[in-house]
Amino acid sequence: MQYWALLVDSFRESRDRKIFWLMLVISIMVAGAMLCVGFEPGKVTFLFGMWEHETSYFTDVTGLKTDLIAGIVVDGIMDTVLGWIGVTLAIIATAGLFPSWMERGAIDVVVSKPIARWELFLGRYLGGLAFVLFQATVFVLLTFLVAGVRWGTWLPGYLLAIPLVVLLFSYLYCVSVSVAVVFRSTVAAILLTLVVWISFTGVQTLDDLVTFKYTEWQEQRSVYRSVHLARWIVPKTQDMTHIAKKWSGAAPVDEFLPEPAEEDRANYELAARIEAARMALNPVYTIGSSLLFEVVLLILAMWRFSRMDF
Amino acid sequence: MVGITEMTNWGVDLIDVRKTYGRSIEALRGVNIQVGRGEIFGLLGPNGAGKTTLVKIMMTVVKPTHALGTILGRPLGHRGKLRTTGYLPEDHCFPPYLTGFQLLDYYAALAKVPRARRKENAKRLLDRMWLTQWANVRIDKYSKGMLQRLGIAQALMNDPELVILDEPTDGLDPVGRRDVRELLLELRNRGTTIFLNSHLLSELEMVCDRVAILVNGLVARQGTLSELTEHTLDYRITLQSDATAIKNKLEAMGALVDGCAVKLTGDDTDKLNAVIDLVRGEGILVQAVEPHHFTLEDILVEAMGDQRIPPARPVAGFEQRQG
Repeated sequence: MQYWALLVDSFRESRDRKIFWLMLVISIMVAGAMLCVGFEPGKVTFLFGMWEHETSYFTDVTGLKTDLIAGIVVDGIMDTVLGWIGVTLAIIATAGLFPSWMERGAIDVVVSKPIARWELFLGRYLGGLAFVLFQATVFVLLTFLVAGVRWGTWLPGYLLAIPLVVLLFSYLYCVSVSVAVVFRSTVAAILLTLVVWISFTGVQTLDDLVTFKYTEWQEQRSVYRSVHLARWIVPKTQDMTHIAKKWSGAAPVDEFLPEPAEEDRANYELAARIEAARMALNPVYTIGSSLLFEVVLLILAMWRFSRMDF
Repeated sequence: MVGITEMTNWGVDLIDVRKTYGRSIEALRGVNIQVGRGEIFGLLGPNGAGKTTLVKIMMTVVKPTHALGTILGRPLGHRGKLRTTGYLPEDHCFPPYLTGFQLLDYYAALAKVPRARRKENAKRLLDRMWLTQWANVRIDKYSKGMLQRLGIAQALMNDPELVILDEPTDGLDPVGRRDVRELLLELRNRGTTIFLNSHLLSELEMVCDRVAILVNGLVARQGTLSELTEHTLDYRITLQSDATAIKNKLEAMGALVDGCAVKLTGDDTDKLNAVIDLVRGEGILVQAVEPHHFTLEDILVEAMGDQRIPPARPVAGFEQRQG
């Protein structure tokens, strides 16, 4: 009963913000844009056939290649719109949930109820995730339906992108609430979460570069190990898209990108190797180690929240 | 042990409650307060005395540095007993996106009130607080007085055995204040213990059975209103002409002289008659003699000036800075 009340309250607060409706509008607009595009053998049509573009990618008269469509949906649409824009908007939308809740006069009534502080914290945290679960469900369901109905490609594995996006967001949201508990500031929560997200991405990219490009750095064992260890510790935010692609049966990126120019071939091959390595990662490792980071950070934030005077 | 504490007659029994912020800011310095079950108890004191800190400690909003005692027979901070305790904080700030009904339902759900009872209580309390028409309106449309009445309703949603109200009449008009007083008396008649924290001494005087005066983090006075005012009386003597000429003689008898007004502290009638004899002996006619009983305000002012209570460190303004 108490958790449900906290979840509903968090959701109501999120719904009260304009950004909630903005995210819904974006989801509908993306689905609408997808509806306007059609794939036919040898060509892609736009605006329901008003404009056509000939292509060699879709020549199979028996139908479209499912893995290419999955690649377009997951890599091109879900990753860009939901994984980056959506998660950024969600960080902004939810960053105020804890600071507003912890305002003097507001928190007093809540913490005086017969519920442990850590439970209050957890309930509020889950409320923020419920908001993202709702938005991710709307987006994925709409795009899933459009891909199925309009393009004739049903991607049941793509539905698993819903929990994956919530997981990705949760890795960042735990940072946001920890900052909020310490500073009680929405602006600080947004800025520091974005900085931390960039640093997570930076650590993963650095590890890829050391592993695949600047292999001579591996001779510096301590540096190499440190980078590897850092990658193990931080949430694998970049890898969530790869898991979504794997589970939805998407084709590797090189199958639907144009052939590179000769001078770009080295970079192209490097990207393909990194992509292949990431696709080969065990999801249990990727998700498990990321969740460990999240749980540790949440326990620290809960401990701090439980000891606070309001 | 639990069985013994459950049997206590005190609704609130606070022993040696201390709160130090940081290393040196002493907000409470060993507060002892007892509130009987089913009585209305008033806590008063100047700004920065530690009243709100004490209330927040009782409601687990603030962690005490040291505290013993019980609330409703259970140790201070016992979560289970919070289920039967209602609380209205000072300067509350309720979520603006909720309607009046949703707000009552939300807080009552956190207090583990079953759904059916929540609905029933919300309806009854909204009606009692004259808010039925506003039940489904977002509270950011409410006036300050309406928010205060909603806050009081919120504190009563769990049918509490103990209600702690911090400045309950803040923002209410005179009619609203009278309504709250009547509500408090109704609650007392039903056996609810009420702990009031208010600056409005006249309000407290009208409803409280017992009061405590907190000064600089310590209880300066505590008791029933009659106990506190029993030996606190003075006489105001109005003369027909100026008594400055005999000022020294009057002051030697313990009286204070200000032109035609003479004030004699204490309820010693022999001394009163001696003063009157002296005045009349000097040929000054007495126009009126009025006995003046101390009000709560007089007692508070006297307690604030009590040199036996050393100032807390830093001296004052602590609570405002906390805000």
